[in-house]
Amino acid sequence: MKKILGGLVATAMVMSASSALSADALTLQLKWVTQAQFAGYLVAEAKGFYDEEDLDITILPGGPNIAPEQVIAGGGADIIVTWMAAGMAARESGVPLVNIAQPYKRAGLMMICPTETGVKTEADFPGKTLGVWFFGNEYPFFAWMNKLGLATDGSAGGVTVLQQSFDVQPMIQGQADCISVMTYNEYGQALDAGYSPDNLTIFNYTEMGNDLLEDGLYVMEDSLKDPAKVDAYARFVRASMKGWGYALENPDEAAQIVVDADETGAAELAHQLYMVKEVTKLVDPDDAALDMATYDRTVKALLDQKIVKALPEGAYTTVVTDALK
Amino acid sequence: MQKLLASVAGGSAALGLVLSLTSLSAAPLLLIFFIAGALTLIRFKKPLPIWVDGVLMVFGAYALIASLPAEGTMPGHHWLALISAWAFSWLFVEELSTAIRLGKLPHTGTGLVIPTIFGLALLIVWEVITRGAGVPPVLLPSPSAIAARMAAETYILTQDFIQTFIKSVLPGYAIGCLAGLLVAIAVDRSPFLKAGIMPIGNFMSALPIIGIAPIMVMWFGFDWQSKAAVVVAMTFFPMLINTVAGLNAASSIERDLMHTYAANYWQTLMKLRLPAAGPFIFNALKINSTLALIGAIVAEFFGTPVVGMGFRISTGVGRLAIDLVWAEIAVAAVAGSAFYGVIALIERGVTFWHPSVRGGRA
Repeated sequence: MKKILGGLVATAMVMSASSALSADALTLQLKWVTQAQFAGYLVAEAKGFYDEEDLDITILPGGPNIAPEQVIAGGGADIIVTWMAAGMAARESGVPLVNIAQPYKRAGLMMICPTETGVKTEADFPGKTLGVWFFGNEYPFFAWMNKLGLATDGSAGGVTVLQQSFDVQPMIQGQADCISVMTYNEYGQALDAGYSPDNLTIFNYTEMGNDLLEDGLYVMEDSLKDPAKVDAYARFVRASMKGWGYALENPDEAAQIVVDADETGAAELAHQLYMVKEVTKLVDPDDAALDMATYDRTVKALLDQKIVKALPEGAYTTVVTDALK
Repeated sequence: MQKLLASVAGGSAALGLVLSLTSLSAAPLLLIFFIAGALTLIRFKKPLPIWVDGVLMVFGAYALIASLPAEGTMPGHHWLALISAWAFSWLFVEELSTAIRLGKLPHTGTGLVIPTIFGLALLIVWEVITRGAGVPPVLLPSPSAIAARMAAETYILTQDFIQTFIKSVLPGYAIGCLAGLLVAIAVDRSPFLKAGIMPIGNFMSALPIIGIAPIMVMWFGFDWQSKAAVVVAMTFFPMLINTVAGLNAASSIERDLMHTYAANYWQTLMKLRLPAAGPFIFNALKINSTLALIGAIVAEFFGTPVVGMGFRISTGVGRLAIDLVWAEIAVAAVAGSAFYGVIALIERGVTFWHPSVRGGRA
């Protein structure tokens, strides 16, 4: 099977090389729908930064029922954007993903509770209902609860977990006492709905030291044996970081690029502009390298929570980011 | 057909024998299977007994599973063995059905053997292809991996089953079916209701489940109550339509007879019309048994506590626990079939008078 696929790829490469197009084709699978969370890649595509690096990039949007890890395992993508917890869990499930770069240095995940629920500190959690996103986004929450020693199976003295929709409705309708939000997305929706820091208790995962690394770039381990592929990855990361730099310096233009790139028509300019400004606080456009201290803390939390059974080995490589220096 | 199958089965075995002898790399079990399989080509000179194909089918399946490579993909002759064993099982089933048709074998016992063989053959082909062709387990796990997961996660599967089936499906099904029955009798009593309720019922049945599920979550909270409500909405209408039709099943001559006995409406209903509507009502009960399970599982895709079959199926993909998703699907399939089977058994007991039941056992 692999041989056949390899043959096909080789044939395709020969054919594309013989044509005028000699650019390396790579497919990027985003973790979520087209939005400013991925501004760097969308801007790099729109501004021609990928073309300058002789790359032909296809960006595939994600969504509530698309698991990037499954897409790359099925050969539908070369590079995926995913959270480290989900990537490491996938690695244990037999999808050998490797982190090649980590543009997001800080996590954007928070939990917010309206003050009328009476939640002021972590000590107020027992007996409360907390909204959590699943589908690979649940790991940081469970790692945090594990740290607090709170049961999540609905037993007495623990918390009740609700599978939260990807919006702030459960908080507005009072189905949950606290909900998960991303600083750059749902938190903005909560502000639009009339909430503010005055009537919210905010638990920021990064400030609490409970953050697990979010949007990183992952590839399949086998592909790293091919120097040509590694070179293409390095050019991809370089162009992407250039895209991030441009997006953070020109938020208005970046937001417009995101709205134009969204084929579903769901992205709104005002919200995307808010998002670009918020992700500025999380992304370091000058450094794509994985920060080892945060990596070690992330992996340790995953191990403590039994999300992974053994310490991941070879789950990251610096070969791509080293090539940029 | 049988001739073709016989030549495919024997021919691919002979070809496999040649291949494995030239490459000198075949597992001993497969070699034995190839030799025996190739020998069956004698049948074109002299007919063989049925059991030969049965034995070859079983042995071929065993040899295939036992000689699967631990790593990587299986060699070409392995695929030939798969084709040959598959052809033998098909041939065996063909011969069995011919024997039943000619009255050489009793119908009752062998009638069960054929679908069992078919099901097992499918599972074995699935197992051999997923493991032999190196299909990544995150795309399609092998049946053995799914079974292992089922054995390991009995607690989770049981909790999910209780949440979805016992708490959501059964109450929703009971309420929905009973309400449908009662409303059907009310509709039968009053032409006004018939004109008013039936169009609304039609409208309700056309509502997509993914449209009403989130609304039910808003009304009844995210626990089992909202899922049961979705099941009620889904099961109510088939019951209503079927019962209304069934209440008209009794012929006018029978109703005239009740009239001459001076029976009032309720007596006629209980003694004649409801029993006559039995097949229709059970038809609705059977349709609803599968609808209710589907409804509850799909409703759990929208805001749930962190337990339930639908929750596990929808979020398991995101965690790449594909084997667990398949395990849930297997549990759901068995539960749904058992539920349907129980209703069908009750029906046989209750509507014993109906020709379809009487004629079922000649």
